[in-house]
Amino acid sequence: MGFLREEDKEYLREEFKKKLKRKVELLHFTDKNNQSEYSRDTRALLEELVELNEYLTLTVKDCSDKEELESEGLELCPSTKIKSERRGFMNFYGAPAGYEFQSLVEDIIDMGSDNLPLPPDIVKELSKISKPMDIKIFITAMCPYCTKAVRTAHLFSLVNDNIKASMVDSHGFPELAMKHNVSSVPHIVVNDNVSFVGALPEEEFLAKIMEVIE
Amino acid sequence: MQFTLKTKSKVTSSHHAAAIIGAGPAGLTAAIYLRRSKIDVVVFEKLVPGGYITSTDFIENYPGFPDGISGEELGELLEKHARSFGAIIENNEVTSIDLNVAPMLIKTSNNTFTASTIIIATGTKNKKLGAPGEEELLGKGISLCATCDAPFFEGEDIVVVGAGNSGVQESLYLSKFAKSIKIIEFLDHPTAEKILLDRLKEKENIELLLSNKVVRFIGKDKLTGVEVENLDSNEKKVLDVKGAFIYTGVIPNTDFLKGVVDMDSKGFIKTDEKLKTSKDGVFAAGDVRTTPLRQVATAVGDGALAAYGVREYLEER
Ligand SMILES: Cc1cc2nc3c(=O)[nH]c(=O)nc-3n(C[C@H](O)[C@H](O)[C@H](O)COP(=O)(O)OP(=O)(O)OC[C@H]3O[C@@H](n4cnc5c(N)ncnc54)[C@H](O)[C@@H]3O)c2cc1C
Repeated sequence: MGFLREEDKEYLREEFKKKLKRKVELLHFTDKNNQSEYSRDTRALLEELVELNEYLTLTVKDCSDKEELESEGLELCPSTKIKSERRGFMNFYGAPAGYEFQSLVEDIIDMGSDNLPLPPDIVKELSKISKPMDIKIFITAMCPYCTKAVRTAHLFSLVNDNIKASMVDSHGFPELAMKHNVSSVPHIVVNDNVSFVGALPEEEFLAKIMEVIE
Repeated sequence: MQFTLKTKSKVTSSHHAAAIIGAGPAGLTAAIYLRRSKIDVVVFEKLVPGGYITSTDFIENYPGFPDGISGEELGELLEKHARSFGAIIENNEVTSIDLNVAPMLIKTSNNTFTASTIIIATGTKNKKLGAPGEEELLGKGISLCATCDAPFFEGEDIVVVGAGNSGVQESLYLSKFAKSIKIIEFLDHPTAEKILLDRLKEKENIELLLSNKVVRFIGKDKLTGVEVENLDSNEKKVLDVKGAFIYTGVIPNTDFLKGVVDMDSKGFIKTDEKLKTSKDGVFAAGDVRTTPLRQVATAVGDGALAAYGVREYLEER
């Protein structure tokens, strides 16, 4: 049995058909030998998703392929990165499960279109960033507020190549969550030093991540 | 593993006969009623459709679900119901409204819309205590959402502040994770429903501390303790805990409406019995208005009533 409900599939088929204008690759790094529910489910979901539109493709690589992982700018595995010709670093470490599935769908649409739902003044500020910024958003699958933070960071990455944004499933990476003292989500960590908590509005989110440069 | 799709669609037109701010139970019910009258409606939602209930584990007192229903699922059903009649949900925060022009203006973070009528259904959020240390330790052991953060407190000693319905209900949920829970309550009795209190008694890892108030939250980068004061003996003591969940009441999401419609001293919107606000064509429904009870059942009733008011208003014009 699949993970996507028939009605959701139908909705997604229509959405993708209406909105996708270019190819989008879902690049999934997984431990191919790992048959855990966690690993298996994510992969099965991605397989179902790419069936819904011809612009969508799935590439599966193995976590042991460290060089490949690094060349994609990734540090953890499993991960799923949404790629297209468009600029942007939209990545998920661990499963894009629960409410985060919504983020994944919206990311695919953005990568496959020219959609940029950000206010112009924020876009202007973001384009000025001249240093690498690695944003990690720690989430839990049952957190209804977390998608907002994940999406904000992912959208920011569409504006400037210096910005990398990755969702991190706290359940999948408990040691990392512990290292960063995550106890409330969304918990955002920038360049492994600035951190803050909450689904902040875009301007406040921007102000917080800029602290890393100051 | 579950993958939740909160479908969203973009509005195509910038003018609507009715605009609803907030896609909680009140807003989504209003949308259902308006759509059935074939009134063109857009619902603005800044987070996820479904509203406040999406952050609670289980709802048992909403009629029609004798076995109870998870907040996530109820939210999803309400959203699906509204969409099935053609309601459009725009995933965007309303940052201001201007009622001094016709049609009325609604600004979101990246767009402007107009509407002939507005229903405000923006609900509430958890009130903080205002105790020393709280602001600094929020997100560092202090949490406002049990379903979001419970897994981080597996096997830990924690406190829940507030023994009302939310506090007790969320304690029951947290007791599946935490080693021990002390519920701190200012009053000399818990105010939660009797059925919840009976269940509380069955839990060996939950203890009620009545007539106690939080003096301060302790910790540098992480919460390490909570100082409480017994209001009868004035005795103070420190509870060594790693987590604190606060459920001591709510404040309305009305900051962006200050000076626009009449509110009570706490910022809840004042309405008449037809849910009209102080401004013509503007209604308020659900938890955001001055009302003695804030529940899904009352929010749903308000949604229907406000939609009726909007219909009447549009027909009179
Ligand atoms: C922990 C907890 C447990 C609960 N348990 C129960 C229970 O068991 N039974 C029960 O009946 N009730 C319960 N409740 C109460 C119930 O959740 C509320 O009464 C109900 O959700 C109110 O519905 P509403 O539509 O008025 O507001 P809400 O559900 O709060 O919805 C308001 C919506 O408006 C959105 N919004 C706010 N501002 C803006 C803006 N500027 N722009 C766009 N969108 C905006 C919000 O994101 C939100 O989605 C519980 C609440 C909590 C917190």
